[in-house]
Amino acid sequence: MSLRDAAIVAYAETKVMEKTDRDIFELDGDILESLLDKTGIEKSEIDALVVSGLTRTGAGNVFWAQTTADELGLEVDYCDQVHIGGCSATGAVARTAAAIDAGLCSTAFLLFSDTPSEDNRRDRGFSQEWIGTYGLMGPPGAFGLLSRRYEHQYGLDYEMLGKLAVTQRNHALLNDNACEKLRKPITVADYLNSRMIAEPIRLLDCVMPCDGATGLIMMSRRRAKQKGLANCVIPTGYAERTNYRGGEGMVDVTWSGHKAAGQRALDIAGLNLKDVASFHPYDDFLIAIMLQFENLGFCKHGEGAAFIRDHDLSFRGDLPLNTGGGLISSGAAACSSHNLIEAVRQLMGEGGARQVRNTRNALVTGIGWINYGRNWGSSSVMVLVPNE
Amino acid sequence: MNDANKLNDTAGVKRVIRRYGFSKPYWDGTREKKLVIQYCRATGKYQHYPRPVSIYTGRRRDLEWREVSGKGELYSFCIAYRGLPAFRGQEPYAVVSVTLDVGVNMIANMMHCTRDEIHIGMRVRPCWLPLEDGTNLVMFEPDRDTI
Repeated sequence: MSLRDAAIVAYAETKVMEKTDRDIFELDGDILESLLDKTGIEKSEIDALVVSGLTRTGAGNVFWAQTTADELGLEVDYCDQVHIGGCSATGAVARTAAAIDAGLCSTAFLLFSDTPSEDNRRDRGFSQEWIGTYGLMGPPGAFGLLSRRYEHQYGLDYEMLGKLAVTQRNHALLNDNACEKLRKPITVADYLNSRMIAEPIRLLDCVMPCDGATGLIMMSRRRAKQKGLANCVIPTGYAERTNYRGGEGMVDVTWSGHKAAGQRALDIAGLNLKDVASFHPYDDFLIAIMLQFENLGFCKHGEGAAFIRDHDLSFRGDLPLNTGGGLISSGAAACSSHNLIEAVRQLMGEGGARQVRNTRNALVTGIGWINYGRNWGSSSVMVLVPNE
Repeated sequence: MNDANKLNDTAGVKRVIRRYGFSKPYWDGTREKKLVIQYCRATGKYQHYPRPVSIYTGRRRDLEWREVSGKGELYSFCIAYRGLPAFRGQEPYAVVSVTLDVGVNMIANMMHCTRDEIHIGMRVRPCWLPLEDGTNLVMFEPDRDTI
């Protein structure tokens, strides 16, 4: 277990040019093609993408790694961008070796590219050219398309989304750190009657961007023990999937990377889904919670509403859900980390008025970036357990 | 038509679109109101939006450009009641995802269509909105010939 267990097996480079109008993704495509040719590996074998750059072209886009995966049709289990300036290239090699060593990925594509020329250094992504042109308003628009399609395929009981809204809001009422504007009781009718933003997405389907910060300290378990920090939380399983089915032209938008990431994370943790003690899913939109119930396997596709109806998702219930209020009812701040922080708090037994009874584990998820016409770019799943 | 049934065509939106190198054949095609999209020779599949490589093989050399009819059916839609800044005042308008007959999804706006009429699975065809630089923007409208 060390850096020296990993190997660099091929390199590629384009010619260095002054003041070109060549698009950064075109350069990236050249590098990918060259590396595939040199190694003889198939694109589908690449399961990690690590990007670095020093200019605004890429580094100015916080979603650069995911954007690049979408541009190149790469579906990966590890997606990262390393931003430590001129140390990024070597830093990326070291971090990728660590990721391989940890079993997070096995075949990594490290990509370094810049286009700093005067006319060629803008933030680069697809949305301005192919989405903004049509007035699709970012996440609410994308989730509007997703919701409508879901409704067409399975039917959609909006009252059950309303139940999610009310459950999370009740949790926010018990969370002193939740955004005060959101700490007012709501009803299912309030949800249903909230104004349309991107029909069928309503105002109360959406997160509200807020200011705030969170933080964690991590160390080895051994060191924690030495220091007497006994009340700690251990990540026992983690998996992510970026650009799920991104190498396919046609996909079913109701299927997400949580299907792949969830199975893997649970396998690594040795946890059965039915034994999940509390669930802290990323909730940028209510329907994202329902899709995660389905894709993680809590229920079959199309049966999310029935699952919500049949379970008590309050902190006292059989499957406590986002016990701090979730992002939707506590406010989306601090890199949307609050659901993770809440899970840690609960496992440490510091949930206060909203403490869950069963603290054997917690399941936390993430959703990242909106891709073109699918659902979202990255899906992550983490299992946490309290220190034994 | 009553107001509740109206969908704005968004034809009045001033669109300034920044184009990038490898999407040039697409935009060139629109000058003649032709829908020209990427096709992967190795797999026989189309892709959209334009990418630097085939999303199927990861290779640039597998890509070529082919004209397609642009006909297809509605995969999904949403109705914006709060538009992007350039679209303010145009609400409500429909953003649609269309499955072209060649098997690829494309996002655009719907024109010449009412709130009552729009539905998933409806047949649509391309229509074109002139842009200031001589290119045209592909939009969709109900394909009433095939309904």
